[in-house]
Amino acid sequence: MVNGRGLVTEGRQLVWRNQRVLWWLFAANLLLAFFGAESFAFKLAEVMDHSFMAQRFNQGVDLTLLASLLNHPGVGLRTHTLNSLFFNVVFFVFTIFVTGGILESFRSSRKLTTAQFSEASGHYFWRWVRQMLLFMLVMTPVLALGGAINWWSDTLSSDAALEKLGFWVMLGGLALTLLLAMIVRLWFDMAQVRTVATDERSVLRSVGRAFKLTFSNFRMLFFMYLRISLVGWTFLLFGLWVWIRFIPATRFWLSFLVLELTLLIWLATRLWQRASESAWYQRYEVANPPVAPVMMDAPLAYPLPVPKTEPAETIVASESTNQEPRLPSMADPQPS
Amino acid sequence: MNYLRLSVVGVVVVVAALVVVPSVTLHPAAGTAKVAVPVSAAASSSGIPNTTSAINSPQPLSQRVVHYEMDAKLDPKKKSVDATEVLTYRNLTGRPQDTFPFHLYLNAFQPKSTFITETHNGEGFRGDFEWDEKEEASEEVKSFEVEGMGDLTKQIQFISPDDGNPNDRTVFQVKLPRPVAPGEEVKFHISFHDQFGEVVARTGYKRDFLLAGQWFPKIGVWWKDAWNCHQFHETTEFFADFGVYDVKLTVPQNEVVGASGIEVASTNHSDGTKTVEFHGEDIHDFAWTVQSDYHVFTDTLQSSLGPVTMRLLMQPGHADQAARHMKILRQTLQHFDDWYGPYPYKQITVVDPPHGAKQAGGMEYPTFITGDTSWWMPDGLHVVEVVVEHEFGHQYWYGMVATNEFEEAWMDEGINQYTEAKVMDDIFGKDRSIIDLWGVTGGELGLDRTQYLAAADRDPLTRFAYQYMNFGSYGDITYGKTATVLHTLEKVVGEDTMRRALHVYFMKYRFTHPTAEDFLKTVEEVSGQNLRWYFDQAVYGTQVLDYEILKAESQRTDWFGKKLPDEKKDVTVYHSKVTVHRKGDFIFPVDVLIRFDNGETVHERWDGRDRWIRYSYDKKAKLLSAEIDHENAIGLDKDEFNNSYVSQGDESGRHKLVHYWIVLQQFAGQLLAWFA
Repeated sequence: MVNGRGLVTEGRQLVWRNQRVLWWLFAANLLLAFFGAESFAFKLAEVMDHSFMAQRFNQGVDLTLLASLLNHPGVGLRTHTLNSLFFNVVFFVFTIFVTGGILESFRSSRKLTTAQFSEASGHYFWRWVRQMLLFMLVMTPVLALGGAINWWSDTLSSDAALEKLGFWVMLGGLALTLLLAMIVRLWFDMAQVRTVATDERSVLRSVGRAFKLTFSNFRMLFFMYLRISLVGWTFLLFGLWVWIRFIPATRFWLSFLVLELTLLIWLATRLWQRASESAWYQRYEVANPPVAPVMMDAPLAYPLPVPKTEPAETIVASESTNQEPRLPSMADPQPS
Repeated sequence: MNYLRLSVVGVVVVVAALVVVPSVTLHPAAGTAKVAVPVSAAASSSGIPNTTSAINSPQPLSQRVVHYEMDAKLDPKKKSVDATEVLTYRNLTGRPQDTFPFHLYLNAFQPKSTFITETHNGEGFRGDFEWDEKEEASEEVKSFEVEGMGDLTKQIQFISPDDGNPNDRTVFQVKLPRPVAPGEEVKFHISFHDQFGEVVARTGYKRDFLLAGQWFPKIGVWWKDAWNCHQFHETTEFFADFGVYDVKLTVPQNEVVGASGIEVASTNHSDGTKTVEFHGEDIHDFAWTVQSDYHVFTDTLQSSLGPVTMRLLMQPGHADQAARHMKILRQTLQHFDDWYGPYPYKQITVVDPPHGAKQAGGMEYPTFITGDTSWWMPDGLHVVEVVVEHEFGHQYWYGMVATNEFEEAWMDEGINQYTEAKVMDDIFGKDRSIIDLWGVTGGELGLDRTQYLAAADRDPLTRFAYQYMNFGSYGDITYGKTATVLHTLEKVVGEDTMRRALHVYFMKYRFTHPTAEDFLKTVEEVSGQNLRWYFDQAVYGTQVLDYEILKAESQRTDWFGKKLPDEKKDVTVYHSKVTVHRKGDFIFPVDVLIRFDNGETVHERWDGRDRWIRYSYDKKAKLLSAEIDHENAIGLDKDEFNNSYVSQGDESGRHKLVHYWIVLQQFAGQLLAWFA
C-alpha cells in the first residue's frame, strides 16, 4: 500500500518549488480577464469618466445605480459579457494546454526549462482534449443529479410541511454534487498524472486504469483532495469576508490586492491537488515497480517508451520511503 | 399588491399634516352620478347599518351602498366553503336599475378563463406558467333570490364585457322582473359554493393555510353612468362600493381566524366547530384566513382618531420576525397618520403566509394585508418592511381612496409606490431603503427608476390595467413610472407641496371613487400651478425625458496669436461654451449649474422647449463642469450619465467597476478551467 503520510505537505511543497507555474497560470488568468474587460472599460470610460455620476460609484455598491449603468444603452452589457466569455474560453484552452507541462514539472526532480515545459504541454494537448470530452460525459449525470436534487428541493421548499427541509435538501444536494464532482475530477486527474508518467496514448485505457487505481485507493486520495478543497473554500470565504468587512469601497488598490490574493490562493489549491496526486503516483510507482525494467543504459528519446507491462493495480504494501528507481521523466538528465 | 419590491430605512417622524391642512368634508364619489344622500339620514331609514363599532368615528365615514351579511362554513378537508349571502344594495345611481352585474372572481382559476389564458399567453404573473389542476378553483351560485321578486337563479347570465371570452365565468348579470327605483334598496339572497385551489394570485390554500380573497359574489359599481364590472384579468385587481360587512365563519375549533374588520363574537359548537363573527364598516371588500398554528401577536397604536389594534398572524417558523413586522407596521401607520390623514379603523390585521404560498403574500384587503418573508430573511434586506409598508399604504390608496383598479391601476399601485418610497426613505434613509447589506445598498427611488427605464415609452399611466403591452409593462409603468413621475413632480411643485397635495387628495376623496383627473386637479389646486404641460406628457403621454450636456469647453480668447503667452490663472481670458441638448421628446424646464476654476458658479434655467441651447461666457477662468439637474431631482431623465460634463475626468469609479468585472471573470475562468 502506498504510504499516504505527508502527501498533502509534499504536494504543497511541490507547488511551492514550482511556483513559477502558479504565477504564470495566475498571470494568464489575470491578463485574459483584463483583455475580457477591455471593451467594458472602454465603454464605461465613454459613459462615466466625464460625468459627475462617476463619483457616486466610489461610495459602496448601490445596486440600483449599478443597474442603471449596466442597462445604459452606451454600455451594452451583452457584448462585454460575450467578450469576457470568449477570453474565459481562451483561458480554458490555455489551461488544457499547460496541464502537460504542469504535471511534468511536478513529476520532475528539477525545474523544467521553458522549452521543456512547452514541449510537454504540446505533447499531451490533444490527449487532454479527448480526456476533457470524456470528463464532460462522465460529469453529465453528476450535474443532472445536482439539477434533479435542486428541483426536488424547490418542490420541498414549497410543499413540505417543514419550511427549511427544502433548504437543507438543496444544501445537501449541493454538497453531494460537489463531492461527486470532486471524485470524478480526482479520477480524471489521476488519468492525467498517469498519462504523463507512462505516456499512455489511449485516453480510454488511461481513464480506465486511473479508475481502478483511484477507487482501489479511494479513501486516501479522497481525503487528500477533500482537505485541500476545504482549505481552498476556507480561504475563498475568508478573503471575501475580509473584503466585505474591512476594505472600504474607496480603497481601490487594497480591494484589488485582497481579491487577487484570494483568487491566487484559490488557484493554488487546485494546483496543490494535482501536485499531491502526482506525488502519490510517484510513491505508488515506487511501491509497484514495473515488471519489465526499463533499460536505463539504452538511449532515451522523447516521448518516453511505454513499459509493456502495466504496474500491478493491486496495491502492494510498502512502508519504504527510500527513493526507488522510477520511470524517467523528460526533465531528468537524459543518458547519452 | 406588491410585486416583490424591496425598500428601506430611517427615522424622523414628521409633523402633523392634520394641523397644517384644513379639514376637508366628505365628498360624494367624483365622476359618479350618485345621488348625494346625507349619510345619517339615509342610514336611519335603511337596511344598511349605521353602526360605527369598527371605526374610530362617531358617524359612518362613507356613503354605505352595500351591506353584505354572509354565513360561511369551511370544509377544511375539501378546501371548500358553503355560504349564504344577503346583500342589501342601495340604488344611488340616480336612475331605475333592473340589471345587476356580479363578480365571481374565483372562477378565474380555470383553464379557459380570461385570467389563465392571459397568463398563459403573456409573460405572466409567473414567468414559467404551467396549468396545474391543483390550482383550479370555482365559485358556483346555487341559488339567487331577490326579496319580493322571487327566485331568479335561472336568470343568471354569464357575460364577458372585456374580451367576449365565452369560457370566462367571472362576471354574471341578472335582470330583475321590475326595476329598483332611485334611492330604493334591494335585497339579494344568494347561496354559493366555493372550491379553493392551491394558492394562485392572492387566494387559495396551502396545506392547512387558507386565504379566502375574492370568495363571494360581489356586485359591480355604478360608475361614470354605467355598470363597472370587469372580468378578472391577469393584471387587474378590484373595484367595489363601500358598505358594511357582517360575516360569520364556521371553522374547526382549532383554527386561528383572521379577517377584515373586527371580531365581534366567537361561539363553539358541539360538532367541534366554532363560528367567528366579524364586522367591518366603510370597507369595500372582505378577506379572511385560517390556519391552526398561526402565532398571534397584538399591539396597540394610538392614531390621531383613537386606538388601533395591530394584529399579526405569523407562521410558527417566523415568530422571531414578529417584532420586525410590528415595528414597520407601527412606523408606517404613524407616518401615514401624520402625513396623509388619519387611519380610522380600529384594527389592522397582517397575515404572514406560509412557505409555498408566495402568491398569497404582498396583498391588500381593507384592514387586512398579507406580508412576505422567509425564515432566512436578513435584517439588511428590507423585504419584510417593504411589503408591510406597501400593503398598509393600500389602506389609503385603494382601501379608503377607492380608485378603479381595473382602469386606473396607477392611482392605487403607483401613488402607493410613491408614498412607499417617501415613508421607507424617511425610515431607513435614502439610497438604502431596500437593501443595506454587506456594503450593498439600494433605495426605493432608484428601484422605481430602474423599473421605469425598462418600459419608459411603452404605455401611458392611464392605460386600463388589462390593456398594457404586457405584464412587464404593466408592472414597470404602473409602479415604477408613476412613482418616478410623482417624484419628478416634486421638482416642479416642491416636496412639501406634494405631501400636502396627497393629504388634501386623501381627505377629499377618501371613501369615494375618484378618477385620475380628481387627483391631478387636486395637485394643481394645492400647488396653485397649471401642470397640464407635465401631466399631458408624464401621465397621459409616453414621451421620454432626456437632457444632456452635449458640449462644454473653454478656449483662450487670444488663440489666434502667433506666440501665445503662458496661461496664467486669473489673467488669461477664456471663452467658455456649454451646449445643452434635449434628446428626448419630453419637454421639461431644467437648471444648469456651471462651475469655473476660480470658484465661480453660474446657475442657468432653461425652459427646455427648444432642441438645444448654448451658454457662452468670457471669463478669466476655465470651465470646470456643467451639470443639468444638480439636485438629481428629475427621476424621469432617462440618462443621468449625460447630465453633466466634468473637464477633469474621474476614473476611479470606472476602475472600481472594471476591477469587479475582472475579478468575476477570473473566478469564472478558474471555475471553467476546473473542467480542463
